[in-house]
Parts: sequence; C-alpha cells; structure tokens
Amino acid sequence: MIDKRLMRLPGMRAVMMMLAGLTLVQAFVILGQGHFLALGIVHSWQLKTLAGLWPLIGWFAAAYALRQGLTWLKNRLAGHFAAKTAGQLQEDLMAHLFALGPRAVADAGTGNVVTMALDGIPETQNYIELILIKILNMMIIPIVLLVYIWVQHPVAGIALLLMFPVIILFMIILGYAARDKSETQYAGFQQMSNHFIDSLRGLKTLQLMGISRQYADNVYQVSESYRKQTMGVLKIAMLSSFAMDFFATLSIAVIAVFMGVDLLAGKLALYPAMVALILAPEYFMPIREFGSDYHATLNGKNALTAILAVLAAPLPTQTDALTALPAWTSTSTISAQDLSFQYSGKRAGVTRATFRFQGFEKVAIIGASGAGKSTLLNLLGGFLQPGNADSDQVNGEDATAMPFAINGQPLPHLAQENWQAHLSYIPQDPYIFAASIAANIRFYRPDADDEAVQQAADAAGILTWIQTLPTGFATRIGEGGRGISGGQAQRIALARTLLDTDRSIWLFDEPTAHLDIETEAALKDTMVPLFAGHLVIFATHRLHWLNQMDWVLVMQAGQVVAQGRPADLAQTSDAYHQLVHEMRGDFDALAEK
Amino acid sequence: MHWLKNDHWVKPDLKRYRWLLFWSLALGILTFMAAGALMFTSGYLIDFSARMPLFAAIYVPVVLTRAFGIGRPVFQYLERLTSHNWVLKVTSHMRRKLYQVLEGDAAFLQAHHQTGDLLSLLADDIGHIQNLYLRTVFPAVVAGGLTLIATLLLGWFDWLFALWIALLLLVQILLLPWWSLLVEKRRKSAQKRLNQEAYVALTDSVMGLSDWVITHRQAAFVDGAVAKPRQLAASMQRSKQFQWVRDLIGELFFGLIAVSFLVWTSKYWTGGKLIADWVGSFVLVVFPLNQAFSGVAQGVSEWPTSRDSLAHLNALTPVTRPLPQQLPAPTEVGTLTLAHLNFRYDQDSEPLITDLSLTIHRGEKLAILGPSGMGKTTLLQLVLGDLTPTHGQVALDGVNVLAYQDQRSSLFAVLDQSPFLFNTSILNNIRLGNEQASDEDVAAALQAVQLTDLIARLPQGVNTPMAESGFDFSGGERQRMALARILLQDAPIVLLDEPTVGLDPLTEQALLETMFTVLQDKTVLWVTHHLQGVSRCDQVIFLEDGALTMTGAPRELAATNARYRRLYALDAGEA
Repeated sequence: MIDKRLMRLPGMRAVMMMLAGLTLVQAFVILGQGHFLALGIVHSWQLKTLAGLWPLIGWFAAAYALRQGLTWLKNRLAGHFAAKTAGQLQEDLMAHLFALGPRAVADAGTGNVVTMALDGIPETQNYIELILIKILNMMIIPIVLLVYIWVQHPVAGIALLLMFPVIILFMIILGYAARDKSETQYAGFQQMSNHFIDSLRGLKTLQLMGISRQYADNVYQVSESYRKQTMGVLKIAMLSSFAMDFFATLSIAVIAVFMGVDLLAGKLALYPAMVALILAPEYFMPIREFGSDYHATLNGKNALTAILAVLAAPLPTQTDALTALPAWTSTSTISAQDLSFQYSGKRAGVTRATFRFQGFEKVAIIGASGAGKSTLLNLLGGFLQPGNADSDQVNGEDATAMPFAINGQPLPHLAQENWQAHLSYIPQDPYIFAASIAANIRFYRPDADDEAVQQAADAAGILTWIQTLPTGFATRIGEGGRGISGGQAQRIALARTLLDTDRSIWLFDEPTAHLDIETEAALKDTMVPLFAGHLVIFATHRLHWLNQMDWVLVMQAGQVVAQGRPADLAQTSDAYHQLVHEMRGDFDALAEK
Repeated sequence: MHWLKNDHWVKPDLKRYRWLLFWSLALGILTFMAAGALMFTSGYLIDFSARMPLFAAIYVPVVLTRAFGIGRPVFQYLERLTSHNWVLKVTSHMRRKLYQVLEGDAAFLQAHHQTGDLLSLLADDIGHIQNLYLRTVFPAVVAGGLTLIATLLLGWFDWLFALWIALLLLVQILLLPWWSLLVEKRRKSAQKRLNQEAYVALTDSVMGLSDWVITHRQAAFVDGAVAKPRQLAASMQRSKQFQWVRDLIGELFFGLIAVSFLVWTSKYWTGGKLIADWVGSFVLVVFPLNQAFSGVAQGVSEWPTSRDSLAHLNALTPVTRPLPQQLPAPTEVGTLTLAHLNFRYDQDSEPLITDLSLTIHRGEKLAILGPSGMGKTTLLQLVLGDLTPTHGQVALDGVNVLAYQDQRSSLFAVLDQSPFLFNTSILNNIRLGNEQASDEDVAAALQAVQLTDLIARLPQGVNTPMAESGFDFSGGERQRMALARILLQDAPIVLLDEPTVGLDPLTEQALLETMFTVLQDKTVLWVTHHLQGVSRCDQVIFLEDGALTMTGAPRELAATNARYRRLYALDAGEA
C-alpha cells in the first residue's frame, strides 16, 4: 500500500511515525465527537432540559474542534515535509543532470526533462502528502471506530467489517479498471487536445490547400466523436466509484434498519444504536477520500519513478584523472587510440578511431550525415564517455581502457575538469540564454569588465549591430527576448568564447550549415583570422572550410576511413574524392556538361 | 463584472444544451438531498424504534432509508455523467469557434511562424473554462441551491432559526469564497508569472547544459535552475497553508451549525415523545451536507485563472483585410508580373520591399537569393497575396492577385522549410492537396517524389500514421511528402521557401533533383539560402534591403559578375 521507495527518503520514517500517532489520537477524538453527539441526542429524546444538555454540547464542540485542529496540524506537518523533500529532489535532479551532461538530456528529450523538473516535482510532493495523510487515515481511523461500534452493537460491527473487504475489492477492481480506463481516457483526452492543437498549427497549410473553411466542421466532428468515446469510458470508469459509494451508503441504511429492528424488540438501547449510526459514515469517510485521490497517486507514482530513474543513472567517475593542464600550447597533444562508442539501438556510433592532434592545428571532420561526426565531437568534449551506452559501467565494457591521451597521460574519457576548462563547443544552433546580450557574452567569465565584453563582441563582428540597438548590450535576447538570426547567434557564441582566453580549444559542430551563403561568407571572414592560436576541431559538410584546414578526418559509418592533409587526401584517397564529389553535386554535374 | 457584457464564450454555451445543464445541477442537488435524507430517516427510524412501536409502524422509514441509501450513489453517478457530457459538448463548440476565429484572422495566417506555445496556450484557455464549469460554477450553484432549500424547509418550522442557519451557510458560500478570492488573487497571478519564469529558467538550464558543463560551475547552475521553481513552490505552499487555515475556519463554522441544531432540537422538538423522535433526524441531517459546501471556497479562488482565460479568448478579434471583388480563377495561366512593388508593415516601420519590378513567364524557374531578413519571404507573401503591397501590384496576366484570394489554392502552391504534416496517415496528409484524388493519383504522386520504396517498407503502407512510434521520418522524407501533396494540388505556380535548409548536401542534392523534375512544367519561385542547384534556374535575383542588387541568368552572372563568382566558388568549395 505504501511505496517502499518513499520510505527511503530521508526523514520519512520519523514524519510518518509522528503522523501515525496524531492520526491515532484523531481517531479517538472522532470517537469522542460521536459519543457526545449521541449522548446529546439521547438526552433530548428523553425530553430532558437544555440545562443538562450544555455540558454534552461543550464536550461535543471541543472534540469537534480538536478533530479539525488535528487535521490542520497534520496537513501542516505533512505539507512541510513534502515540500522540503520535493525541493531537495529537484536540487538533486538538477545536480545529477549537470554531472550526467547534455547527452543524458538529449536521450530523455529536452521537453521531458523540463516537464519532469517543473511538473513532476509538485506531483511527487502531492504524492508524499497523500500517502502521509490519506493512506494513514485509511489504515488507522476505521479500525478504532470499528472496535467501538462492535462493542456497542456486534451486528452493526459485523456488517461494517464485512463491507470493508467488499469495498477494498471494488477499489482493487477500480484500481485495475482505472489504470486501464484512465489511461485510455487520458490518452483520449490527450489525443483530442493534440488533434485540436494540430489543427491550429496546420491552419496555414489548410488555407494554402484551400480547405481551411470546411475543416472547421472536421474539428467539431472529431471533438464530438472523442466525446462519445470518452463518455463510453466514463460510464464504466465511474461505475466502479459508484459501486464503492453504493456499498458505503447502503451499509449505513442496512445497519439503521438492523438496529431499528433490534430496538423494536427491546434488545438494544438508543445510545449504542445512535452512536453506531453516527460513526458509520466516519468509518467509510477515509476510504472514500482516498478513492477520490486515486488518480493523483498514480501520477505521483509515475513522476517519482521518472525522477528516481534519472537519479539512478551512474555518473562518470575519474573526472579529475587529468592531473594538470595549465594551458594549451603549441606543443600540447591530444590523441585517441581505438576509440569506440556504441549507442543503444541501431544508430551508429564511432568505431576504433585513432588520431593525434597537436598544438594549434585546424582539423576538419567530414562525412555524410550519420557518419559519426557529432558523436566524435561529443566524445572529444567529454559529453559522451567511450564504450557502450547500454553498459552499466560508465567508462565502457572495460573500465580500465584508456583510449585517450593528453600530453602523453592516458585517460579513460575526456569528462576531465582540467580539459573542459580549455574547451569551447559551438553547435549548429548555439544556445542563447534568456538574459541580456552582455550576460550571454559573459557566460564563461561572469567577472569580465565591460571593456573586455565590448572587445570580444568587436572581434566576433557583432559590435556594430549591438550598437544600433536602442538598449545596446543590455538588450534581452533568448526566450521571451528580442529575436536574433542564426548568424547573430553564432557571433554571440563566438564572442562568449573569445572573452575567456583560457579556452583555446574550439569544437565546432556544423556552425554554418543552415546559414545563407552571404551570411556564411561574412561569418567565415570573421572566424578564420581568429583561428590562430587555437586548436580547432570542426565538423562540417561545407567543403569550402577544407581550404583553411591543416588536417582532415573522413568519416563513414562511424569509422575514420581516411585522414591527412587536404592536399594529400585529394591526391591519394578515394573515400575523400568520392565524398567531395557527392557533396559538390550540381556544381560538378553542370561543370562536366 | 464588466467581462460579462462583452462575453461571447460563456453565455452562448449556457443557453445551448440548457436542459442538460439544468439536469446536471439538479442531480447535484438531489445527490446531497438524498445523502441528507438518508441520515434524516435513519435517525428517525432509530429514535422511533426505541419507543418500541409495532413493526408495521416503522415500515415506511425502513423503506425510505433503503431508498435514500440507493438514491445517493445513483444520483451522484448520473450527475457526474451528465455534467461531463455537458462540458464535453460545450468543449466541442468552443474548439470549433476558436478554430473559426483564427481561420478568419488574416494577421494570424500571415504570421510566418506560429509558435506551438501560443497555440497550446489558447487550447489551455479552453481547458480552464472547462474547469470553471466543473470546479467553480457547478459546486457553487449546488451549494447555493441547497442553502435555499434548507432555509425554506427550516423556515416552515421556525423562521428565526432558519434565518440563523442561512446566515451560517452564507459564511460557507459567500464569506469564505470572497476571502479566498481576496487573499489568493494576487498570489495566483504571481504564481502564473513565476511558473512562466520557472519554465524559462529550467529550459535555459537544460538547453544550455553543454555550455554549463564546461564551465564546471555546478553550484551556480543548480541555483540558477531551482531559484524560480523554489519561489514558485514557496508561493504554492503559502496558498496551501492559507487553504488549510480557511478550511479549518470553515469546518469550525460548520460545527457551529451542528451545535445550533442540538440546541434548537432541545428547545423546539421536546414538547412530547412523538415529536422528540425527530431530534436525531434533525441533528444527523447536518453532517452529510458538509461535503456540498467544503469545495466552494476553493473553486471560487480559482476564478482569477478562468477569468484570465476568458479575457484572453474574448480579446480575440480577428483582423479581416479589405480585398477587391473576388474573381473566378482563370483556366490558363501565363505571365506573373511584379510592377513597382513596395511594402512596409506601417508608416513607422522600415520598408521591406522597395520598387521591385520583375516578370516571370509561364514555366520559368526563378531563384531568389539574399541574406536572411532582407525581404525574401515577404516577397513570396506578396506574390501569394497574403500581404497587400503599399504601392504597386502583383498581377497574373494583368489581373491583381488580390482578386484571386478565394480561389488561390488552384493557382499557387507553397513548400516551405518545415512543411506541416498532420498527425494522421500519410495517405490523408497527401490527399489534403486534392480531396478528390483517387488512390492511383496518390500512388502516382508518391512515385514521382520517389517515396514508393520507403512506403513499401512501412507495415501499414500509406495508411501508416505520421506519428507512429519507431518511424521517424527524416527532413528529406517529410519534404518529399509535402511535395507529393503539392503535386496533387496541381497549381500552375509553385513557391518554394528554402525547402532544403537544414538538410545535408547529399540529401539536398537528391531533393533538388526530384523537385526540378516534377515541377518541370510549373512556374517556380524558389527562395534559397545558397547556390546549390541555382544553375538549373532561368533567372537569379539577389534581394538586399528589399531591392534587387543582382539579376540575370546564372550563366550570364557567372560570366560577368564578380560577387556571384565569389559566392559560387565558396559554395562549390573552391574558395
């Protein structure tokens, strides 16, 4: 009944014991409330005076108030604990994601991770509260009440006791039915709302096809047909909760009739009958309250599972294996020997790649899409660790393998603090944070002064544009801010990198692939002079970059099939030739005509 | 209450299906009346039986007790079904209405990109109105109805006591909800803002993770990511604490009702033995009614959210655009002429197109190049008639294209960067181009765009849903599907807006090959971001700051224009 994983949360046991104690007290208070209410009714029934009733009213009121006060106190305690625990989970989750790196996020899907951190946490919080309040209520209160009712009137006690398993049985049926039905029901709702959003998104397309007007009826028809389906499901899903309610109220009616007959025969006094009647609804109350929150517990359970799965993912170890790398100089080297990485699933990774780069070389990685260029860059950036993504061991099948070496020191992977401190990684769509332009440029060096920021922006060729903006460097960009073009985003990422002079190793992942040719040409003019004094590793399928490179790796289906100086490769490598020819496409085809 | 006057989202639906609405509210009231009556008759049954009358005398209360015991869950079941049915019916209408409003909105359709977020927000608004009915309006009406009925019934015995009880019930249905609204109003809007900020903060953290990781500033990362969510959680916690206190007060007031009944029955119903049998009834009837009142205050405190959504929807006023007298589409299409075209959004904004003139003959292929943001897409929108030129006109054989807007789909087809494919089967998606197309026509179009092999590999062939898990169609494949759709549409003029951006060179090359083959007979205006395939065109234009800076046949430009040569060399990998 209680999720064992919850018991492992720090402090859960203590809070649970305390709340169980309070719930037990509350059960007796409920008993007292019913007792004095019954006494009061009997008092009036016996035609006694109001004066004698006042003490009973007083006791009833006190018990009633105490009961409500206890509910408040329990809510506060459970609520406080759940909030604190959920906050801690959220922090742990983010810290763990940081340590796992961007690949873990990409595998789970960005949207899923954000949803998990934003909605999953409150759902988990709610789940903890429900467990602490509703489930404890259900486990403690009915038992105390049942014992008392049994003592007063065994027949009523037996009736209520028999009814409990019947209700539990229905709850289990409800549970199974609800699990299936609520999932189809939820999927239906989801599908319905997705279809609707889909229609709105595709409105432009529908208009271009000249059918947007008549499509309105389709929107209605689809919504209506889902309504009919949903109602069909609800009829059955609600039938289970109907049955639960039915047995609870019917059993109250039944014991009232039983007791009426006993009273009639003179076998029973009024007080025991009255108190049993008053306490019977209280006996069923906790289970009915739990039933109405059943779906919330399902959501909470799923959210907790998802969060715990992330927290259970193993982190890379030995991130400080690289002893020292004070600066990247012209004599520094990075090499890889039989470097492999295999994704789970069919997607090709990298197979037995071997290479060695030195100093401020300019290296291009070329190949068709899916050839493993990005994977290799991710391995070099330390965002992926060599080995098999399915394997539990973070560092691969063989944790002792040392595929990398920096300045001759063998390393298991490149998630090394001392390596990443010199690194900068610019993808096709560099991420722009929801902040000012200045804050975006300062990202690696929050302490940089305004002049340095300006110089970096100038070197990246974006200063003129920034100065035309009314608010200059203070202009907010990113989510919710001013929109910027792909070329401008690249330049801001470049300025960000330039500001941190320690970062002399640049990884680029197709930075100009989606830019128009003029923007690309202008950006290239800016970038090429900046390459001096940096180790540049550049994945691209734009051939003109090869003219600026010292070394080229040609990749095909995860393997490095050729490497060398561009001029040499052009002479000797068939793979290089073939690839270049295919990429040039029309340019060659038409030249040959 | 000013929102009520201009509302056209709630009022029509209250009138529509009003009987269903009436029954769901009536059943809600009946549910609680049955619950009260169950305790009332049970209390009487026991009190009365304790006097040990003849068995026959308790027959009626016994039957009634059973009847009400069954009645309560039955009514509740029916109430839930009716109210959900009503709300879902209304939702269907609201969805169609929202669709129609946006469909008629020229500004919405002109916008080049509609972010998914905005649309989800609009869809959420409808969800909030559903909640308004189910969580705010229904409970409040049911509780109000019960208050009225209880007051009238008690007034029959003792109007002064009835007044007192009415006063205590008004605390539940007016005072506490009003107080909640007052306290929660500002907090709710702060929570809405914080929720948005938390979303941005988390997105920033998650999307920018690779930049964060290489800074090794884990503490700053975690703080940045959780600061807003933590504020949000703290605010939600304050809301909860308020709710607990409010509920405590509500319960205590309810306790006062129970006490009042104990006192009242002692004074009013102790005149004789027969009368005193009603004491239990009157005291016990109070308790099941508690549930009818306990949700009202919470429901009402959610009103600010629904009100925002209502305001949002009511504020949607479609922009309609003045168009000339619409003409039937011509059967034969010849020359497209752009004459002294000028465009700017309004007087204060920069001109996007300046004095642009151009002639495109039937079957010609025109490539449009130029840096992004320099009016290429605007030009296509003008040709299409989505935008009205500030000066000049776009004419098709001398007739302004604005006069063909009703029949536009038979003249123009468009393929852009990310064609929209609906979450339905491939067949349905392609048939959108022409709903009369036979299966053979669709198969022929798929054959032309070279998708036959891919589709043969799918388990359900053309009936495979687009979003079927396990089949992730690539960018090139999606473009081919959209191209097939356009082939069915069979419009004489095709506008291509950077359809190959983001594709790798090999995929791009193959797609261009297919495109130029299947569109051989069409007039094509092709906006492109680089020179791959441009040599296949008859004319190339360069748009910069909204004006033509280079124009000519590709071969001509290659021979005479240095800038063109430089870009060509760069693109070909020679520079």
